[in-house]
Amino acid sequence: MNEPGTVAITGLGLWTAGFPSAAAWATGRADPEAQKPLGKALDKVNRRRAGPLGRALADVVAEAINAAGADMSAVSTVIGSSIGEAATMIGLLDELWRHHNPMSPADFTMSVHNAASGLISISNKNRGMTTSLAADEDTPAAALLEGIGLALVRNTAVVVACGDEPAPPTLVQHAPPWAMLASAVVLAPLSSATTPLATLRIVIGQPPNPRGRFDQLLVDNPQFGLLALVDAVLRRTSGVIALDRGTGRGYGALIAKGTRA
Amino acid sequence: MRTDPLRVTGYSMLSALGGSRPEHLTALRAGRTGLGPSPLPLPFQTAVGAVHTPLQELPGDLAPWSTRLARMTAHLVEALDEPLRRARERWRPERIAVLLGTSTAGAESTERAYRVFIAEGVFPDRYDFLRQHTFGAVLHVVRALTGAKGPAWMVSTACTSGAKPFASAQRLMAAGLIDAAIVGGVDTLCQMTLHGFESLQALDRVPCRPFHKDRLGISIGEGGALALVERTGDARVLVLGVGETSDSYHVSAPHPEGLGALAAMREALEQAGCRPEDVDHVNAHGTGTRLNDTAEAKAISALFPTPVPVVSTKGYTGHTLGAAGALEFAFAACAVEEGWIPPSLGADQLDPEIRLHVPSTVTKGRFRAVLSNSFAFGGNNVSLLVGAP
Repeated sequence: MNEPGTVAITGLGLWTAGFPSAAAWATGRADPEAQKPLGKALDKVNRRRAGPLGRALADVVAEAINAAGADMSAVSTVIGSSIGEAATMIGLLDELWRHHNPMSPADFTMSVHNAASGLISISNKNRGMTTSLAADEDTPAAALLEGIGLALVRNTAVVVACGDEPAPPTLVQHAPPWAMLASAVVLAPLSSATTPLATLRIVIGQPPNPRGRFDQLLVDNPQFGLLALVDAVLRRTSGVIALDRGTGRGYGALIAKGTRA
Repeated sequence: MRTDPLRVTGYSMLSALGGSRPEHLTALRAGRTGLGPSPLPLPFQTAVGAVHTPLQELPGDLAPWSTRLARMTAHLVEALDEPLRRARERWRPERIAVLLGTSTAGAESTERAYRVFIAEGVFPDRYDFLRQHTFGAVLHVVRALTGAKGPAWMVSTACTSGAKPFASAQRLMAAGLIDAAIVGGVDTLCQMTLHGFESLQALDRVPCRPFHKDRLGISIGEGGALALVERTGDARVLVLGVGETSDSYHVSAPHPEGLGALAAMREALEQAGCRPEDVDHVNAHGTGTRLNDTAEAKAISALFPTPVPVVSTKGYTGHTLGAAGALEFAFAACAVEEGWIPPSLGADQLDPEIRLHVPSTVTKGRFRAVLSNSFAFGGNNVSLLVGAP
């Protein structure tokens, strides 16, 4: 399937409550103690600065890059999130208008969508390219497409991480609640990946996959599509994995088993 | 890494200077600022670059998405009507991407609704977070207005958001995934950013004065710019290269020697196969803060063996944050097309630490290659090299 836009997947990362890594997810046994992300790709100072979403994204970035054997100080980073730091924003507005306090400069700098990508770059002395993007339900597909473009054009490894924390319930009153979820894949050009976990190409026009065996609180997270991809690669599945929940534009990930045992 | 230039077949702009390219050129030529009092109530003094251009309501079926951000974007789309029509004849809708940038998304709309919620315990009937706040809301509006059906995303990397989509388009085109893209950035004034930059003590009390010896900070603006970039077609200007780097230094302060900025400019030149001496002008990020202007000046001085004219246009429009990279791409394109650059407003008494050639009058010349810089929170840097076809 070496059509244009095909890349290798060389590393995986995952964080959700009870499953603090892709390795833990693969066992299928939840760890009730693992309820808070640690921010593994962050140094001490930036771990304190980061909110829960930033720490979860840092965890999955660290796991995926380590699994791929890539260099934390050189890999390009694409972070996807649909609502990003909306909860931080609501907290700031509450301080301002409910409690009549001045805005906290530290909290303000952490309210930007690229807070996590900035902290990961700073913590790892990575002076390369990093970006953050959003596309509602299509965020996983958009982040993967940006990552594929980077891997192919720059001929380099790219970590693509997507995550969303629960939406502030006051703001999203008519949508089902979802659980915190972050996942990551490392992409690389086929020519440089000697033992890929899988190969990947993005396709469109894909009906949603059955979600039966996933917890509904994960399925309802806008980043579920990347979890579905990580899960499929862990299971050494081939075929098309839908990247949205049936409410996006129908992007899918066409994957084929790689050569890594 | 060399890549093919992006062919820019049309661009549109909206800011405190007006709603069209001619209005922008008139104000720039006259050295007239668009900065003035804030239309939003604030408990502190600052000047802002508010858009005063009347904005049309969105067509009926897009009414639920109608926010100031969406209406500003629709205004910019309308001004691209003719090149978009030609692009639709040339490319399949699935091969036309929508790649935009914003820092605020629908924050202005959410703020107004949230004030009502605090006062009354319920949101206004017409407020809808998913259609008015999220990053994807404006993408929906642009796709609906243009018929583009290719990949669509919103970059949000604070003040580089409007420049990065050019790089995304370049990559998708080079990877063979698209043939054209609507790229750019939009941002609105909102309480979050005004109070946030005030908390950082980064707002000047008078209209911002980039590179001035007494500068005290930024003035925030709103607006945006869109560009239609294509694989082939009659280009007005080219995007020859895009450099993207990180400072890896501090969340909200630039590297003091401007190392990340320098690396971004070098990468843009390298991508284009150009040397520093090929560059005729730099549209600086030039925000007006003490740290940013000094660091950027060091980076520019380190790159150019002989001084090039360096202008910050933020004294005209304010810092339009997530739109700045796109709006300043448009100013760079104007320099290439028109053969003149405006005075750097507010720089009449240059900081002696800033050893740059900062023009205080209109400068005529041949501007064949222009760098446009954008830097952001998180140490995120982008430099676009805009050139003549």
